[in-house]
Amino acid sequence: MIQLNVNGVEHSLDIEPEMPLLWALREEISLRGTKFGCGLGLCGACTVHIDGTPVRSCSYPASAAVGKQISTIESIGSEETPHAIQRAWIKHQVPQCGYCQSGMQMAAVALLNDNPNPTDEDIDAVMTNLCRCGTYDRIRAAIKTAAKEMV
Amino acid sequence: MGITRRIFMIGGATVGGGLLLGIGGVGAHLMTHNRINTQRDGHTDNNSTLVNLWLRITPDNNIIVINPHTDMGQGTATGLMQIVADEIDADWSQMKSQAAPADVAYSNGKVFEGFMREMVTPPEWAGNLVENGFYRMGDLMKMQMTGGSSAVRFTGWDAMRKAAAATRQMLLAAAAEKLDVDIASLKTQSGTVVHENSGQSYTYGELAADAANRDLPKDAAFKAADQWRFVGNSIDREDVPAKVLATAEYGIDAEVPDMQYAAIATSGVFGAQISSIDNADEIKTARGVSDVLIVPDGVAVVADNPWRAEQAVRKVVFQRESHANDTLHTEDVVQNQRDALAGELSEGLSTGEAVEGAADIKAEYLVPYLAHATMEPMNATVWMQDGKLNVIAGVQNPLGARQRAAKEAGMKIDDVIFHSRQMGGGFGRRVAFSTTGDEPLSWLVQAVRIALHSNKAVKTTWSRETDTRSDVYRPLVLGQYEGALADDGKPLLWRSRSYGKEMNIKAIAPPYAIPNIKVSYADQPHPIPTGFWRSVEHSQHGFFVESFIDELAMAANADPLQYRLSLLAKDSAAASVLNKVAEMSGWRYGADADGRAMGVALVHSFGSTVAQVVEASMTSNGVSAHRVWCAVDCGTAVNPQAVEAQVQGAVHYALSAALYGKCDLKDGGIVQSNFHDYRLVGLAESPAVEVAIVKSDSPIGGVGEIGVPPLAPALSNALAVTDGVRRRSLPLV
Ligand code: FES
Ligand code: FES
Repeated sequence: MIQLNVNGVEHSLDIEPEMPLLWALREEISLRGTKFGCGLGLCGACTVHIDGTPVRSCSYPASAAVGKQISTIESIGSEETPHAIQRAWIKHQVPQCGYCQSGMQMAAVALLNDNPNPTDEDIDAVMTNLCRCGTYDRIRAAIKTAAKEMV
Repeated sequence: MGITRRIFMIGGATVGGGLLLGIGGVGAHLMTHNRINTQRDGHTDNNSTLVNLWLRITPDNNIIVINPHTDMGQGTATGLMQIVADEIDADWSQMKSQAAPADVAYSNGKVFEGFMREMVTPPEWAGNLVENGFYRMGDLMKMQMTGGSSAVRFTGWDAMRKAAAATRQMLLAAAAEKLDVDIASLKTQSGTVVHENSGQSYTYGELAADAANRDLPKDAAFKAADQWRFVGNSIDREDVPAKVLATAEYGIDAEVPDMQYAAIATSGVFGAQISSIDNADEIKTARGVSDVLIVPDGVAVVADNPWRAEQAVRKVVFQRESHANDTLHTEDVVQNQRDALAGELSEGLSTGEAVEGAADIKAEYLVPYLAHATMEPMNATVWMQDGKLNVIAGVQNPLGARQRAAKEAGMKIDDVIFHSRQMGGGFGRRVAFSTTGDEPLSWLVQAVRIALHSNKAVKTTWSRETDTRSDVYRPLVLGQYEGALADDGKPLLWRSRSYGKEMNIKAIAPPYAIPNIKVSYADQPHPIPTGFWRSVEHSQHGFFVESFIDELAMAANADPLQYRLSLLAKDSAAASVLNKVAEMSGWRYGADADGRAMGVALVHSFGSTVAQVVEASMTSNGVSAHRVWCAVDCGTAVNPQAVEAQVQGAVHYALSAALYGKCDLKDGGIVQSNFHDYRLVGLAESPAVEVAIVKSDSPIGGVGEIGVPPLAPALSNALAVTDGVRRRSLPLV
């Protein structure tokens, strides 16, 4: 059994230790906000936080997350209490198809937690997730808006 | 026949109940081609009123727009709501949208017509060339297409606007009768009809049932542009919040009780089928695996978790039938096209007197096969329940997909229930139609086979590798160009030959005034599956045409932007966007001190005109695109911020292709597999993209694809200024 703490809830899963965390989250715990894009750690659609650090869950074995705090997009904010990043994402109308955006937001939340006032260079360095719809202009603007709001 | 009956049934059953009255000339003409203009029927089911095919008014005065298009991030639903809100005269808070069912009643002839017209109609100025865009009208009723950048301009502007204007008239007439006053003494505002003299008013919700019983007005006038409250304003898209909160449901997020998962390995050679599986018994011993089977173009493993299925399918050892494609390489395709261009060609366009003398400027261009690489890979969830085949998937054509699933299952379409979902990217990949006979829905076909074979609910998902290697590709195209200059430096003649099936002449002809133009093409097929890729032929031929005009300008020693302007009518949309983009970018011809230079390109597509300037340089890491400016004439921009988003997104989509995009063929299969070798532009290297929408009285144009075609030539033209090297093939890196 693999014991995972996801968004503050303990789950006991009968899965292989090497099963990537992504598939444990999506199909064993039915948390489907975290997306599959490539399976090789290349796109970031599957980004979650482990003890606050952004991680590409498609390439992260479930067993490695045992004893750690896993947070997914579902824990970041809600309709009633959206995170500052989510408010900025709506204000700037960032998503197009939206598929990459939970991973994008997880990367952006981690960035702002780490660096509340990022420069363009900081954003470039950390926001390595891919968006096929090309929402980059608005992602950049939304991160800056959220940063201002969070100060 | 079925039309009336079917709409009747939709009103009653599928759209969510309602009083269905007075469908007909309004809106419905789009699907029936004016054959039914006066149908009416009555059916009381619950207390809301489906006034016509597109609109439903509820007693509490919500106005529901029934949207036949599916969402891949283009903002259609919001655009349609804006159009209706203005024309029916409602407040934004009243407006709702609802997805239309995958049903024939919502097939969209006009949309399809627009799509076909874009693909096969000659430019207007080519005059009397035969318009042959309608020869596939027989297929029409199968299409409920989102494609061809057509949703807002055809469904919205042509159909829904008419429906809303007529509905407003009918509401006014119903109120006039109730109040026993002259209709001219009534006005509408905020979803109510008001009689100012008496102060009496009725909400639309109170009038809807009566209104729907009335005759359709023949002359419902549209609002003038200066009365619009919503059209032309940047309104937040209604699909955005769910995507931000990650509650939007994509096909891949389907959950059905006792669902199993299938993974697919491709045969590895296009067209080659699997003949046998060597190690099925061994595969079945893996944890969770319940089935191993041969499917069209590959093998499938079914398991109780997608990762287990994927692990297992990668271990399947199979035998493959031999196939003519077994030894196919990219070089063979290129040589084959070169040979074809030397043979007999189809004439696309021939204007002006043939010019004597040699065409001394020659160029051969080449662009590769490209995968769509939607961020959500292809997937479908299929199961049988109570004798019905159920399908969950995100597609650009739910009706086509429903039909395809029925065919594969050997069932009647009425026995297939299609649950349409948000798409994680479309770009032409998720259509259900091809002009080539290739199967864009091979993943759906596989999913149906697997579910029926396993007799379980199965979600079939392609890995990124399978997705990249099983696409319907943007065609590889070779284009050969020849030109000559007159004494004043202007082009005297323009000849081009290129390879492509059923070519869109609009895409391959130059938009410039040139005395003698001859455009021809080899109307021949591809050895691998090809399909529609965002902006269709414009993506390849925009690169050719706009590179070659730049070559002519350089040969004439002219500023390439001024050169283009000199070949365009002064009051044309093309001239206006070129002037605008020159102003925005602070256009300069020549490299600056940092080695940065600007390049320009201009492309008409999907009824809109776009000029782009790219500022670029050669750096130690290769090519760098620093900034992009786009000037857009799309006639009426219904939601300017959504137009901006589409154009920005298209630029990045096109930049990935221009810099890195290629799918190489080796031994009959695609070499590239995932984002490490099929690279997408990331945020750090993405240029800032500035978009300006020019004021114009052009007819409303498409938006979703128009930002793609000018990017590659503008970038390549800029690089040619930096170092004098003309880059005639893509990708650049
Ligand atoms: S799915 Fe994990 S990085 Fe792409
Ligand atoms: S919004 Fe579609 S992939 Fe990013």
